[in-house]
Amino acid sequence: MLRKSKRYVSLLIMVFLVVTVFVSGCGQSAATGQGSSGTAKVVNIGWTGPLSGGAAQFGKDTLDGLNMAVDEINSAGGITVNGQKYTFKVVALDDQYKPDMSATNGRRLATQDKAPVIFVNHAGGTYALQQFNTDSSNPFLLAVHSSDPGVAAHGNKLTFVGADPFTAQPDPYSKQAMQKFGKKLALIPAVTPYGQDWGKAMTSAWTNNGGTVTGTFPMDYNTETDYASYVTKALSTNPDVIFLGGPSQPDGLVIKEARQQGFKGGFILCDQASMEDVAKVVSMTDLNGTIGFMPLSQLSSPGVKKFVAAFEAKYNRVPTFHNSGMYYDMKVIAKGMEKAGSVTDPAKILTGMKQVLPITDDSVPYQLNSINDKGQMIIGLYGTMISNGKYGQPFSITPQQ
Amino acid sequence: MSLFIQQIVNGLTLGSIYCLVALGLTLIYGIMEVPNFAHGHLYMVGAYVTFFGMTLYGLNYWVSALVAGIIIAILGVITERVVFNPLRHAPSSNRFIAALGAMMFLEAAARLLWGADFRSIPPVYDKVLSFAGVRVTEQRVIVIVAAILLIIALNLFLKRTIIGSSIEAVAQNPDGSSLVGINVNVVGMLTFAIASFLAAVAAALAGPIFLVFPTMGELIIMKAFVIIVIGGMGSIPGAIVGGYILGLTESLGATYISMDYKDVIAFLVLVIILTIKPTGLFAKGV
Repeated sequence: MLRKSKRYVSLLIMVFLVVTVFVSGCGQSAATGQGSSGTAKVVNIGWTGPLSGGAAQFGKDTLDGLNMAVDEINSAGGITVNGQKYTFKVVALDDQYKPDMSATNGRRLATQDKAPVIFVNHAGGTYALQQFNTDSSNPFLLAVHSSDPGVAAHGNKLTFVGADPFTAQPDPYSKQAMQKFGKKLALIPAVTPYGQDWGKAMTSAWTNNGGTVTGTFPMDYNTETDYASYVTKALSTNPDVIFLGGPSQPDGLVIKEARQQGFKGGFILCDQASMEDVAKVVSMTDLNGTIGFMPLSQLSSPGVKKFVAAFEAKYNRVPTFHNSGMYYDMKVIAKGMEKAGSVTDPAKILTGMKQVLPITDDSVPYQLNSINDKGQMIIGLYGTMISNGKYGQPFSITPQQ
Repeated sequence: MSLFIQQIVNGLTLGSIYCLVALGLTLIYGIMEVPNFAHGHLYMVGAYVTFFGMTLYGLNYWVSALVAGIIIAILGVITERVVFNPLRHAPSSNRFIAALGAMMFLEAAARLLWGADFRSIPPVYDKVLSFAGVRVTEQRVIVIVAAILLIIALNLFLKRTIIGSSIEAVAQNPDGSSLVGINVNVVGMLTFAIASFLAAVAAALAGPIFLVFPTMGELIIMKAFVIIVIGGMGSIPGAIVGGYILGLTESLGATYISMDYKDVIAFLVLVIILTIKPTGLFAKGV
């Protein structure tokens, strides 16, 4: 009898454990930004993304950039639309990277906060929000900071994608890596849809360039504690280059482990990782031959210098690419509102945004070229390869129109 | 062959960490009859204390590990006093909920105090040892050896000292042991202290290999819980064997069966063991 009840207890515990993992940390919210001043009216800008759970840092990174843009615009007096002054206020809600919570947050931001624009930083949340962002009752412009090519592919009329699709990166990366290390590639992509898509894009770019794939070893970068067994397995196929699909620090640990197990080849990082964060857990010497996004702070254009200086002054740390995304997105949105003469009609705002591009001055860190008919902004981005313990020359990874 | 040995070493490293955390969990289960969900989060705080000990205060690695062990032991005792002791006569579901509460509290506190970003404990024993085509860092060897030493020390303590035996006595029969004059309160606190110490030391050992972040406890507690179910709730040899079984299954299953089904394989082992022996491998007699 007692034995039986113990078994039930264990079952119960399992259920509880699963439930807590889902429940813990939900319901967090944070509202930042400045209130109204004088006669200016306030426009709420919605944000939903992870502020707790495994992806919390990524969420905070993008939110910091958005807050910085809003603070800059507000302290310059806001925007003027049809003679009326407007300032912005960011309303940020935590969704723990879960699409269902993004949807709940989105509805709340659209109906309660009347946000004409809602930011989201992951593909899953984007798909959830695209189910109702064009509803006639509370339409809103969905501003997506995700490089997943799927987010712009659905023909949603009120989606603005403020990041280049990652499909542009595998080809230049493959060419660079192949030339230096050889034609055999092993992949350790993440198990997420984003990671799987990246793995596929990488595989096809690599084989199109005449290379061979020795094996694909999908890994859950968020729940795995020890990466060693994956590294051992991948190395047993004798690759020249390894593709890593995780966030920065876990990628760094994989690289360190691979070097310790004697791997001498190169690495290709997906755009979820930023090299400067990878370098926090592994030495630059071990990183020799690593290809990925050129760190923002290593670029020398005036726009980058201005952004880096302002970000450092505000947050006391060096910004990465992820900090800049929603910053320049918000700048484009604010300009688009002025151009469109509306702070409420999302379709007009998007049209206005298309008209204010290109932006090539130093108000934004990257050159913003255009927004295509899918709502995808084309941005001038750069990749690099680390060699001799230093970042190499930047090479363009801007997609073709 | 070197692939096999390399994966055995990987599995043993992981298994050692699992063991140390599961041992604490099973000790506490023995006296409380409820798994302490916050145990994994004490492991997490232990990792942070080691990290700050080394980076902020410039302490030696072993000193930081010891300091972490002591601080987390005290934190464990506080948890016992504040959260579990007041509920000792309440139905077990109350302790259940209290444990979940303690877990959420610790995680939220860590995120608030230290932020959500990944940190890594600076590597100390990073030299690569190489034999027969297998390459292992010193730190991994240290993890494996230290875990074995701690397990032996714990066993000697429980079997050869009076205090140790009294912990076992309380686990077997709390009423009986208080009748013969064992202070159940003190034993409760002591158990929490030892269990938390083990968790913190496990975190300090794993720290230079893994990453330190607020949700790291969630991952380990899930595994530790599976281990004590495999081994038999409250059983010490069960936690040891279960820990190594899980670590080795994960690394060998990933190599020779399928990488995609790594966790599935581990849980399949759980299902098979529970089917054959529903009370776990080394269940205590009831």
